[in-house]
Order: sequence, then C-alpha cells, then structure tokens
Amino acid sequence: MAQTVVVTSGKGGVGKTTTSAAFASGLAQRGYRTVVIDFDVGLRNLDLVMGCERRVVYDFINVIHGEARLQQALIRDKMLENLYILPTSQTRDKDALTTDGVARVMEELQTQFDYIVCDSPAGIESGALRALYHADAAIVVTNPEVSSVRDSDRILGILAARSKRAEEGAEPIREHLLLTRYAPKRVQGGEMLSLDDVQELLRIPLLGVIPESEVILQASNQGIPAIHMQGTDVALAYKDVVARFLGEERPLRFVQPEKTGFFKRLFGG
Amino acid sequence: MNATPTKSTLRLSGGVFTLSILRLTHASAKTLQAELAAQGPALRLVQGAAIILDLTDIDPSLSLPFSEWLTILREAGCFPIGVRNVSDEQAEAAAALGLPHLRGSDAKAASAPPASNTAAGSVFSQPLRSGQRQYARGGDLVCLGAVNAGAEVLADGHVHVYGPLRGRALAGVQGDESARIFCQRLEAELVAIAGVYMTLDAEHPLWGKAAQVSLDGEHLHIIALEN
Repeated sequence: MAQTVVVTSGKGGVGKTTTSAAFASGLAQRGYRTVVIDFDVGLRNLDLVMGCERRVVYDFINVIHGEARLQQALIRDKMLENLYILPTSQTRDKDALTTDGVARVMEELQTQFDYIVCDSPAGIESGALRALYHADAAIVVTNPEVSSVRDSDRILGILAARSKRAEEGAEPIREHLLLTRYAPKRVQGGEMLSLDDVQELLRIPLLGVIPESEVILQASNQGIPAIHMQGTDVALAYKDVVARFLGEERPLRFVQPEKTGFFKRLFGG
Repeated sequence: MNATPTKSTLRLSGGVFTLSILRLTHASAKTLQAELAAQGPALRLVQGAAIILDLTDIDPSLSLPFSEWLTILREAGCFPIGVRNVSDEQAEAAAALGLPHLRGSDAKAASAPPASNTAAGSVFSQPLRSGQRQYARGGDLVCLGAVNAGAEVLADGHVHVYGPLRGRALAGVQGDESARIFCQRLEAELVAIAGVYMTLDAEHPLWGKAAQVSLDGEHLHIIALEN
C-alpha cells in the first residue's frame, strides 16, 4: 500500500510546489517508487519546477474524466527513473476535480507506487480539500511570519476534521511542520518569527527548516528540483527533511546565523 | 435540438416552518387516549395544527401502533405529519402510513461528537485551531490545550482553557451573568460574558498571565488567578 503525503499550507507562495518537487525527488533518490501530483488546477506549476512542461500531453483532469488512461498522463522524471509526475490542467478550474474521480485515480496509483505526494493549491477551497482528503501524512509548509502561521493553523484544523481519516474515525493524519524561507539573521534582528515562536504557536513536530536562498529561484527557473542543487544549503536541508520523514535522526542545521570570519569582515564578503 | 421548451406547472421551493412536537413516552395507544382525555384543555393549543411525533423515550426495538395513534390524534383535532428519533424499522412502519422520518436534530442519527459531552459540559483535549468554533450548550466548556488565534469557544456556562487562550472566548452566551472565563495564559482577541465583550491586546497588565474574567453589572473584570 502506498503512503499518501499532502504538501499544504493554506497560504500561497510559501514553497509548497518547491517542497513537493524536492521531497518527491528525495524519496525517489532513496529508491522508493514515487509519484507527485499537481492539484493546483488552472495554475499548473509543478511541471515547470520539475522541468517537464514540454512533455505534458494528457493530465490529471483528463484521467479523472476518462479521456486518457493513467499511464498516458504519468510523466517519467528526467533525472530519476522511479519518479513520476502527474501534471494538472492549465485550462480547467478546480471544479474539474470530482470527489469520485480523484478517489479512483488515487486507488489506481496506490497499487503502483510506494509514495504519492500531493501538491496542494493555496486556500481552503475544494482544490485544497481534495488534495488533503486521502492523506496519511501532511507536510505543513510555513514561513516565519504571522499570516503564514495563522493559515497553517487553519489548515491543521481542516486536516483534523475534513480528511478521509477523520471522516472514517481512523488514526489521524501524521502532521509535520516544515519551516521554509528561514533567515536566521533576520530572526535575530526581530524581523521574522523564530523557529521557537512558530513551534509554540502550531505545536506539531518539526520536520525541518529550509533556509532562505537564491538557489531556490535558480532551481525553479531551470526546472530542477532544489534537492539536486549539489553542495547548497537548500539541497542538504531537503535531504535532511526526507531522512527525518523516513524516521532517521538528523541534527537541525541552518538555524543559526552564519558567523562572518575575521578577514571577511575586514575586506568585505 | 428539436425539443421545444415547455413551461412546467410545478415549482419546487423551500421554506422553514415552526411545528409543535409531541413527545410520546409510552408505546401504547390506550395510554395516549387516556392522556389526551385527561389533558384536554392543554391540547387546545395544537388544535388544527400539524405536529411531529418525537419518540426519543421509546425503545427503538418496539413495533409501534402508528395507525391507532393517527386515528386518536386526528380525532383530538391535530394532524401528525412526521416522526423523529425513531429506529429504521419504526421509520419504515411510519412511512407506510404517510409519516416521513424527519432527521433534522435527530439524536439517534447524530454522529459521535468529537469531545466528551456530559451534563457537566464539553471537554476538548486537542488544541482548537484558527477557524474552529466550539459551543458547549447548557454547560461549561473545558479546553485542555490551546485556543489559537482565530478560534472561538462558547459556553452557556463557564469557559476553562488550560493552554494559552489566543482566540475568542464567550461565556454565558444565553445570558447567564454569573458565568466566568478562566485561563492559564490570557492572550485572547476577545472575551465576552452574557453579551458584554471586550477586546484585548498585549498592553493589558495581565497579558500572558493566568487570569479570570467575570461580569459585574455592565463591566468585565479581569483579575489574576491566584495560586
């Protein structure tokens, strides 16, 4: 049986798609057969971040409406052979995601994969609800600022009440906090909420901290999941996230401001 | 397309009606007749009115004398139009006589509440998150975890919050002026008792401290909870 993981946040622009792409790639690197699904109908982005936008012929919505078979819509990742992308449609809207249709596709994916990663749209409307409905685990992506934390709190309430697990009275969804765009220096200066502040407000286990970095922008512009950006903090941080998700212990990195060396201070960086 | 649109003579719309509910406590037709005879004057209130039969107090496994009940009640001048709080078998028997099963606030059909709900009130052990709203009808509300910003707790009685209270708390919402709010950490957006409300911010001297809120006349008092 595959495990279904939803990447969600409530708020937009916090790094859900970046995280979905990196996390799914990380699971595939570890040898798991993984599929990542774009639930953001009408704002198709995942295929861009994964660098496969020119290979989209059929999509998730075509499969839901019986216009294509699942195998026709699944795109094999260009870097990892056990990673597949199920892109969404750019021309339809969220109403195209029918409850039954999504359930059917999820059931079919269950038999073929170890992990199903669902990239949720922002908001708390039907698209986001469909994305989280089948989840066994959730990665709640949060930026260190109050509005993002508030929206994550809202999504956590919805995860606890409106998922399939909640409706069936099964064991609740495993909740993981992922703090992204974290800039320790700005935390120190009081411009951002600290990791402790966010944890105190949300009170769910921490999966990792992704530092604020230009690498993210470069990676998405090139269509390469950030976890493949060799030697960067961001790639290391995402690898830690995957390891922790799989139950391994990893010390927390990138949460202290970088110490500026003596010469650097003297001559400028 | 060759179908010409025809104007339908039917128009379906919805409406909300207030109906009397007759709660029966005994499954026999004779008892009903005797009771009606005894309580004659009281029943004049429902003369000519449509009523719902509520069978909460009757064993759901019994087969019930619906047809006799109907005859007796119609003779008494009222018109039963449906039943509620019945088992599936009882609902079927009623439906056969043209009495539909009304589910509305049907106790027997309601799903299990998320919190333990006793006569003393409701207890929530999970944190209440932004956008969630919980109401303890007829009693106290106890929240063991946090009430986060954007969440709302309401009770007819007292409100007790053992985690930080960051959202809204409303006690005595049916007008009980003796109701109070108790919390371990007061960081609420709003507190209210019996409709008298007050917003709070970090300037408040008891912000972040254990406090209780009570109502004195038209003013809310917030005082520290002494240990």
